[in-house]
Amino acid sequence: MDNVIHYASLFLFAAGSFFVITGALGLLRFPDFYTRMHASGVTDTLGADLILWGMILQADGDWLLIAKLLIIMLFLMFTSPVSTHSIAHAAWVGGLNPLLGKELKHHDIAPDRDETKAPVEMPGGEEQNKGGAA
Amino acid sequence: MNDPVSFATEFHPSSSPIFFVELAILTLLVITSIAMLRMRRLFGVVMLSGIYSFLSAAFFVALDAVDVAFTEAAVGAGISTVLMLSAMLLTARREKPYAPGHAALAAVVCVIVGGALIYATLDAPPYGDAAAPANSYVGQAYVERSAVEISMPNIVTTVLASYRGFDTMGEVAVIFTAGLAVMLLLGIGSDRGGKDVRDVPRMVGREEDGPGLGEKPTLDDGGKSPSPKGGAS
Amino acid sequence: MIMFVVATIAVIVAIVIALARAILGPSLYDRVLAGNAVGTKTILLLGLMGFLTGRPEFLDIALLYALMNFIATIAILKFFAYRTMSPQMRDMSPRLGNGNHDGGADG
Repeated sequence: MDNVIHYASLFLFAAGSFFVITGALGLLRFPDFYTRMHASGVTDTLGADLILWGMILQADGDWLLIAKLLIIMLFLMFTSPVSTHSIAHAAWVGGLNPLLGKELKHHDIAPDRDETKAPVEMPGGEEQNKGGAA
Repeated sequence: MNDPVSFATEFHPSSSPIFFVELAILTLLVITSIAMLRMRRLFGVVMLSGIYSFLSAAFFVALDAVDVAFTEAAVGAGISTVLMLSAMLLTARREKPYAPGHAALAAVVCVIVGGALIYATLDAPPYGDAAAPANSYVGQAYVERSAVEISMPNIVTTVLASYRGFDTMGEVAVIFTAGLAVMLLLGIGSDRGGKDVRDVPRMVGREEDGPGLGEKPTLDDGGKSPSPKGGAS
Repeated sequence: MIMFVVATIAVIVAIVIALARAILGPSLYDRVLAGNAVGTKTILLLGLMGFLTGRPEFLDIALLYALMNFIATIAILKFFAYRTMSPQMRDMSPRLGNGNHDGGADG
């Protein structure tokens, strides 16, 4: 039984780490805000929950610890989608338009097309990547 | 692994995995603060300072300063982010390019103060030293007596709630203020109460002076106009 | 033990990447998203650190972080949707009026 719990938590940690890394890579690599949000939101919730399940299995039956982890997990399960949704909603209401179809395919040619022209962006926003106006 | 006594006796900072976690967090803190210095866009600085607070609170937990971590999480990541946003609203959105007048003087002052602080740490007792002043006199007395006198499992709680009760009362006032600020933010007493939210992209129709905040919501337009120019209906 | 180390490394790498996104931007919402992601990962890191040191009793901090992360995200977004913290603040400054001239969602 101990072995089963050990390997199960090993698997949960491995899967959770995989999803956390994947979500973070998506957050860095995807072309526009909405796809980044998708990567971060979906895999963050899943990865965090898997790692928390792994911790619960490793808690050695300490009920207080398990209760705390369960509360954290429940809370993350509710708040993570809510905050992702509200960020997306705020972005949409604020006028940030998603890349669609052809724009996504031409993303490699003009990578920041949407952000430099989006109405939410300040003029001169692209100089941010060069380390600011020093 | 779950035995605190064996952990305390076998603890060597540089070989423990937590040491590398602390190292990583410190590196991230340095990167974050350099990015905050380089960034001219104030909202980015505010967000980075929130991230900085989260990371430094995690670092306090790694150093076993749990109460400081609590305070840092509540005040640093919560209230001060919001206060800085309010301040940003009253000023400009971007930082002005600074005049490079006193840069050399400031650098000299920074180097001197930093050197003095580093020199001061040379005399500090090693991390986790049982004979350090912080661990030997009053702290030792608290550790020995709180289990007998108050019989709480958590020594920090006994010190905060009993030995330093009046001090804690003042802190509770501070935390009550923080709670009031959070309630203020989340919209109790707001004139809108979350009802007047429009799904039309607001900034698109800005040139023609689109509907103001006080006009009635048009909730149906949201999903239908996702084209790059859309939404200006 | 090794699984905690692996998961901790994964979480720290994820924090590094999310921090890069917060620094790069480019839009305001990207930064909010990255800040939210860093907060979630810090919660995980706190739990894992507790298990790494063998004293996982400090999970209360992680719980507080979960609360603070959520509240901070919602507060920031609400702030930029309404451009004010409270109705009183809008009357204080002429720049905070109802008009759209202020460019409310600028990063």
